[in-house]
Amino acid sequence: MTIFARSGSSSEPRGASARFKLVFAHLEVRMLGLALVLAIVLSLLSPYFLKTGNLLNLLDQSVVVGIVAIGMTFVILTGGIDLSVGSVAGLTGVILGLALQHFNIPISVALAIASGAAIGLFSGALIAYFNLAAFVITLGVMAIGRSLAYIFSGQTSITNIPPELNNLVYTTVFGIQSNVLTLLVLYALAWAYLGYTKGGRTIYAVGSNKEAARTAGLNVLFYSILPYVVSGALSAVAATLTSAQILSIDPLAGSGLELDAIAAVVIGGASLYGGRGTIIGTLIGVFIMVMIRNGLNLLGVSPFWQGSAIGGIIIAAVLAERLLSPKSRQ
Amino acid sequence: MTETGAPLLEARDVTKSFAGTKALAGADLTLAVGEVHGLLGANGAGKSTLSRVISGHVRRDGGSVLYAGVSLDLKSPREALNSGIAMVMQETSLARDLSVTENIFLPALGRPGRLSHKLMRRRAEQILTELGQDQSLPLGAEVRELSAAQRQLVEIAKALALNANLIIFDEPTASLSPGEVERLFDVITRLKASGCAVAFVSHRLEEVFAITDRLTVLREGRTVAGSVETRSLNQTELIRLMVGRDIGAIYSTHRATPPSRGTPILSVRDLKSPPLVRDVSFDLHAGEILGLGGLVGAGRSETLEAIFGLRQRTGGLVQLEGKRFSPRAPSEAIRAGIGFVAEDRRRQSIVPDLSVKENLLLGYLGAHRGFALGYGRMEQKIAALAARLDLPAHRIAGESLLNFSGGMQQKIIIARWLLLEPKVMLLDEPTKGVDIGTRSSIYAILREIAAAGTAIVVVSSEFEELIGLTDRVIVISDGQSIANVASAHLDEEKLTLLAAPRSSMERNQRLLSKLAKDYDGAAFWAILDESRMFCLNAVAANSLADPNFTAGATPRFEETRIGAALSSRSREFIVDPSSGLKSLVVDVKSHRGHELGTVGLVLDPSSHPPEAMAVRDAIVEQFRAMV
Repeated sequence: MTIFARSGSSSEPRGASARFKLVFAHLEVRMLGLALVLAIVLSLLSPYFLKTGNLLNLLDQSVVVGIVAIGMTFVILTGGIDLSVGSVAGLTGVILGLALQHFNIPISVALAIASGAAIGLFSGALIAYFNLAAFVITLGVMAIGRSLAYIFSGQTSITNIPPELNNLVYTTVFGIQSNVLTLLVLYALAWAYLGYTKGGRTIYAVGSNKEAARTAGLNVLFYSILPYVVSGALSAVAATLTSAQILSIDPLAGSGLELDAIAAVVIGGASLYGGRGTIIGTLIGVFIMVMIRNGLNLLGVSPFWQGSAIGGIIIAAVLAERLLSPKSRQ
Repeated sequence: MTETGAPLLEARDVTKSFAGTKALAGADLTLAVGEVHGLLGANGAGKSTLSRVISGHVRRDGGSVLYAGVSLDLKSPREALNSGIAMVMQETSLARDLSVTENIFLPALGRPGRLSHKLMRRRAEQILTELGQDQSLPLGAEVRELSAAQRQLVEIAKALALNANLIIFDEPTASLSPGEVERLFDVITRLKASGCAVAFVSHRLEEVFAITDRLTVLREGRTVAGSVETRSLNQTELIRLMVGRDIGAIYSTHRATPPSRGTPILSVRDLKSPPLVRDVSFDLHAGEILGLGGLVGAGRSETLEAIFGLRQRTGGLVQLEGKRFSPRAPSEAIRAGIGFVAEDRRRQSIVPDLSVKENLLLGYLGAHRGFALGYGRMEQKIAALAARLDLPAHRIAGESLLNFSGGMQQKIIIARWLLLEPKVMLLDEPTKGVDIGTRSSIYAILREIAAAGTAIVVVSSEFEELIGLTDRVIVISDGQSIANVASAHLDEEKLTLLAAPRSSMERNQRLLSKLAKDYDGAAFWAILDESRMFCLNAVAANSLADPNFTAGATPRFEETRIGAALSSRSREFIVDPSSGLKSLVVDVKSHRGHELGTVGLVLDPSSHPPEAMAVRDAIVEQFRAMV
């Protein structure tokens, strides 16, 4: 039949340039290319950039925003947004600090993560069950979280923290510092979950077309809430690692984290309308963000200019993505 | 205004593609001043796209459009309105939160200057009076409160308010009752007389023959017959033009052996799911293809959704294989063996960001329990199914479903459910936006799975398709199942009259009641064919005169108590030899000469019948005035 013949040939690109295009049709490849270009430019500009010490430093700096960005990816894939991650990190940090006054480290960490998950459940349930705007609900939770962090901490830093907490960050496993290992393990888990489990595929389907997902029998409500729970819990993990690293907990901790996390996810190619984005893309987005910060520091650029640089990169990244991505997906 | 017959709009060789699919591949259309021009074609032939090009909703890729002798290159519907082109949209484009008046003058809101609400109201009243809706359509009501038919009428009023020179009606009658259609035709006749050019797009051939002067037929995006005199064609010739072959090739004849009876696989009793589903009952047997017929907005889609667990039920009993079945979510229905192809593919079926294969596997994913995916296990099944459905492997491996033609998309969506080997398949408008070639292969697939024992329910607004494809049709009107008829006994006209909304029957009901009361007997309205009656409405004032059938019943003449009168069709009262009932049957027509079936008066055996002639004249007169 004619219909079959017509479009059969168009979907099989031939020749080197076509193959090149096919490879570049993958978003991660494009973003990885951007990251490499950035790395080369920075290494040319600053001889220190490629030193092992600095590279390890880069990984270390990626941990907190990287972990939060995983949860943010889940949320953004469903078409939502979580503005509360920074203040949830602040609040759960304070909860960790207070718990450590009474309990041992494992229990305290578990409490912090559980409270992060509970806050996520609260936001997610409101958003999914009552069909409220994610932006507004998480904005509200953001304000509440920060306010509670101040109240619980008594407006001061908590400093009497058992120094053993430090081990969560500075233990070396297989030659890798444990906080970096945590980051990598979490990314591997998230990658496997999103790509190869029923839940992961459902999150994509819900974000891409909620109505169709419901009609196909997928549990839209559950998988609309789950990402916020993941996001809340991972904010607490990030808060735990920050506290462990500096052995001091400030109610202000995590301020602005939401913007870095959202930026990383967006640079990584996720669509804020949901349904499109990958966890590998997010990881590359995190590296790009951290590299820019690091590079600007190495080059001695004023910290006041860094915001402009990062903002510019975000805008350039989404613009490039829109212009380069296959037409049918727009 | 130019003189009647002069071309107002000439479209030549218009082309338009959507995402690589050609919707128009060289369409021509000439509309003359003072004519009603039918634009016909099978589903997916490009009628709507051509209409939307002319009305400025989509921009053409190629070809030319001359309007009043000047080249027309519209960039927006607003420009079309400014040049006097209006369109009544198929899918209503109303603002749900605004009032009827505001909606009628919605296009005026886009113009600079101040609006006079008083003037708007007066003009709106005038238009609705022309449409015969001044009593039933409250001007102040919000559009969200209106029924589908009322919305359609507001949409029509909106186009009339523009005083356009060219009006395109895109399937304006899909949710209207016959009476409302008559009023619309009156309005169209007046528009024509005032020098307006009217394009009329419809699936309903009898309407096309009733109202249009000339027709243009599109097939697969091309004009295959341009500006043919309507009178010069008969229905068979027209269908052949539309589909390019005899219709028999598409709807193969009804199966000689109807599926075996026994316990129904799905039994629905008094199903309620407000606001649209009010009281629906039917039985579905294994291997059967059942149609739900009715007008748009009658509650057919919602019935399917309520069965499938997508819509809350408030009453009624559904049994699947004899067991009570009330899924709270589609996943329960899917696991119980039900598949559902929803009406709006883009909105309810396609997940654009997942690959074609994952789209194919989406129903499986919904039914699947467990943490892992288990896609691997499905590979063989997919390959087998693809071979059966004629789905090439490279299409399944495709990146996005959106790049496919409507027909190919629909095949994938149907395959999504067939993969689960359902016991019951529910399909809502399965050939909407599907090209003619793929349509016949979809029919073949449905017949094949029915033959293998799957029970199928099809909703279709194309009555011809519904009758041609199904074994039996349940007619749904205003959310109630009112008739259960073997498809072999139906034709489009009977189905149209049966499907008329009960609400529009009010005047008819009053008329029959008065008739029954005046003569102390029973009155009915029905369609009669050679050996069978299709009762549209029946009222008995005297229980002794009850002919023993109710609205929706379709008995053979000899099964009623007035068989003799029905088969003789005499102009006099006929006494039935077995029941003794005395009855008179009178054929009725609308004031436009449209045949509207037969009205009967039944008197009890002991009564003295009045003079037949006088009664007949009174009935004919009252019926003519009714619509």
